[in-house]
Amino acid sequence: MRKRNKGKKRSYVGLSVLSIVLFFFIWWLFTEGFLGTIKANVLPGPVKVFTTLSDKFSNKNPDGALMQMHLWASLKVTLSGYVIGCLVGIPLGIFMGWYEKADIFINPIFDFIRPIPGIAWTPLFILLFGIGMLPKVIVIALAAFGPALVNTYTGIRQTKEVHIWVGQTFGASKFEILTKIAIPSSIPFVLTGMRVGLGVAWSTIIGAEMLAATAGLGYLINLCRGIYRPDIIIAAMICVGLIGAGLGYVLTLAERRLMKGGRW
Amino acid sequence: MLDRRAKGWQKTVAAVISFAIFVSVWQLVTLNPTIHQVMPGPFAVLQKFFLSFAEPIGKNTMLMHMLITLSRWAVGFLAATVLGIALGLAMGWYPKFEYFMRPLFELVRPIPTLAWIPLVILWCGIGEFAKYTLVFIGAFMSIVQNAYHGAKSVDRSIVHAARMLGCNDRQMFFTIVIPASVPAISAGLQIGVASAWSSVVAAELVRSSSGVGWIVVTGQQNNNMTQILVGILVIAVIGLLLALLIRKVEDVLCRWNKRGR
Amino acid sequence: MQMEQERKIDSPIITLEHVEKEFVKVKEGGTFKVVEDLNVQVRENEFLVLFGPGQCGKTTILNMIAGFEEPDAGSICMYGKEIQGPDPSRGMVFQNLAIFPWLTVMGNVEYGPRMKGIDKKTRREKAQHYIDLVGLQGFENHYPIQISGGMKQRVGIARAYCNEPDVILMDEPFGALDAQTRYLMQDEIVRIWQAEKRTVIFVTNNIEEAVYVADRIVVIRNCPTSVKAEYEIGLPRPRSYIAPEFLKLRREINEVVDHTL
Repeated sequence: MRKRNKGKKRSYVGLSVLSIVLFFFIWWLFTEGFLGTIKANVLPGPVKVFTTLSDKFSNKNPDGALMQMHLWASLKVTLSGYVIGCLVGIPLGIFMGWYEKADIFINPIFDFIRPIPGIAWTPLFILLFGIGMLPKVIVIALAAFGPALVNTYTGIRQTKEVHIWVGQTFGASKFEILTKIAIPSSIPFVLTGMRVGLGVAWSTIIGAEMLAATAGLGYLINLCRGIYRPDIIIAAMICVGLIGAGLGYVLTLAERRLMKGGRW
Repeated sequence: MLDRRAKGWQKTVAAVISFAIFVSVWQLVTLNPTIHQVMPGPFAVLQKFFLSFAEPIGKNTMLMHMLITLSRWAVGFLAATVLGIALGLAMGWYPKFEYFMRPLFELVRPIPTLAWIPLVILWCGIGEFAKYTLVFIGAFMSIVQNAYHGAKSVDRSIVHAARMLGCNDRQMFFTIVIPASVPAISAGLQIGVASAWSSVVAAELVRSSSGVGWIVVTGQQNNNMTQILVGILVIAVIGLLLALLIRKVEDVLCRWNKRGR
Repeated sequence: MQMEQERKIDSPIITLEHVEKEFVKVKEGGTFKVVEDLNVQVRENEFLVLFGPGQCGKTTILNMIAGFEEPDAGSICMYGKEIQGPDPSRGMVFQNLAIFPWLTVMGNVEYGPRMKGIDKKTRREKAQHYIDLVGLQGFENHYPIQISGGMKQRVGIARAYCNEPDVILMDEPFGALDAQTRYLMQDEIVRIWQAEKRTVIFVTNNIEEAVYVADRIVVIRNCPTSVKAEYEIGLPRPRSYIAPEFLKLRREINEVVDHTL
């Protein structure tokens, strides 16, 4: 067997940089560059996409609104629905995790609701409430509620028995054990559920807006399909990605702040 | 306090009671005439559901719709599984490949599957291929992610042990890395199944001419709440069955990881 | 118990000369020497024990002999040739077991010959021989998760032996076992070694264990590690933990070794 390199792991960061550069280069090459065979109304080049992206923040064409307005429209609905979903899902998760009676009655219903993707609820609520903000908020709440509940439930269920015993030896009541031991020890799980829920919520709104909206990033993306403007589509997709990542990052920061000591 | 003493049969009884209460409340609520105008009762929904196996909704019977949606799901999911596992394992095990491919993944990952729908339709038209692609996108990311983590976290001493026993690089990948990653891959498959189902339903809601998602969206367009609910019921049931199926697959694949089964 | 067979302890098979090893201090920066000027000769067919206080580099030394790590200075040679990396001629039994959880007992033990390409029938017979030798007959088709810690360690031993290496390295193989099992395994390892003549390099921080099993004990000092003393244990086997000669040796070695917390 050949002699190995001395100890240290080689870093191939150069390869990473190369890969990104190649990606943009090949994209440019076949759209705006020398081999520019792909038409701009099928796949626009990187230059066009980024110009359109920055332009859209001040240009109302062709849909009548600025990018930031769409951004805000989507965010508004997402955050509202998300908060509601968490406010329902987390306490319910605690309730089901702690009281077995609640669990065996509610769980079957939830097992049935869970496989339904959030977006599938959209037509139902549109029929009931029209194309406004309300049906979408409900849909997002439903989407975010699932992960929040499941993770909170898991968090409560995994409370270490030995911790409970310690509480009991100090004479704590059942309720005190729940609030002072079980709930605090489940916080990492609750935060995970909140993070996953936010991701699902953000993803769902984009889809829901394609079905019924007059503003929002999903709406914009779908609209521009009809008018053959893939440059706006891609620009909007980039915004969707960035905001989704940003939201996740904010929650990760909050997580770190709340769990200063690291995982427990 | 957390010990669960309910036995299997007790859980079943509770489930039955629970559903009975749910259906009863639903039925009672829809007896109210105003509500009845917008919301059908559970039995109306069930009746329509069974009827649709004989009387087509649109051009297809319920069975056809279910099979169409399932076939779209299956093709996309299988492709995502094969490619996702291969790519993920390769990225996890070969550093050069990891450094090269990972930035590309990180670029694409934050974009949710649903955001891809219009672009894919623009590129692939409104036929089956667009649906396959969307299902693929939905499942691919989580499968790659988990396969990647599986390969990356193979216990170092297991690798040493294998080397010590004389295994070469190719044998290492096939006889050690792959089996060691099976639990992680299996976890990825659980998520992938659900993501793929979500994607196919979404794709059908936005633009399709058949399938269970189509049933729901045309129900809305025709002001037919019953049809919407039938569609949602089918989506739930199939989604549940798929989840159970992949759980069984996990049980088989990870036999060696579970005590006493 | 079997009386000690007449055994010729031969010329050195492995030599370590002026071996040094440094580790990088990740948090504070700089390096610290783990091993300094280590000189050891391992003779063919002997049961050599490396004994020293905890965390003083014993595992590092063994890893270097095995070929998983390289010395920063000095040389480690086997049969006169410098060691280049892991090799089937140096088998190892790991402290944390490192048996393959997805393979049965038989699958684990026959792994080495399987990598060599030996046909199924031959390698199954071989593996069976070693499974019997370590006393695991009847458990061939069990998965590691189904057997106890002591049994898992025996699988590790059988697996290392089955590959028929020239040298077997054992890195505190009984460290994870409870006291009772540990005593039993000490008997077992001597029995196995007497049945199959091989050179063994055994690392431990338990003095009783060292004196019980060894032909020769090399006492190493705390970091930076080097040889502090060597003892020939001439006692016939089977040994008694409480015989006066045993206790005398034990006391001597105990006084020599570094005592630090």
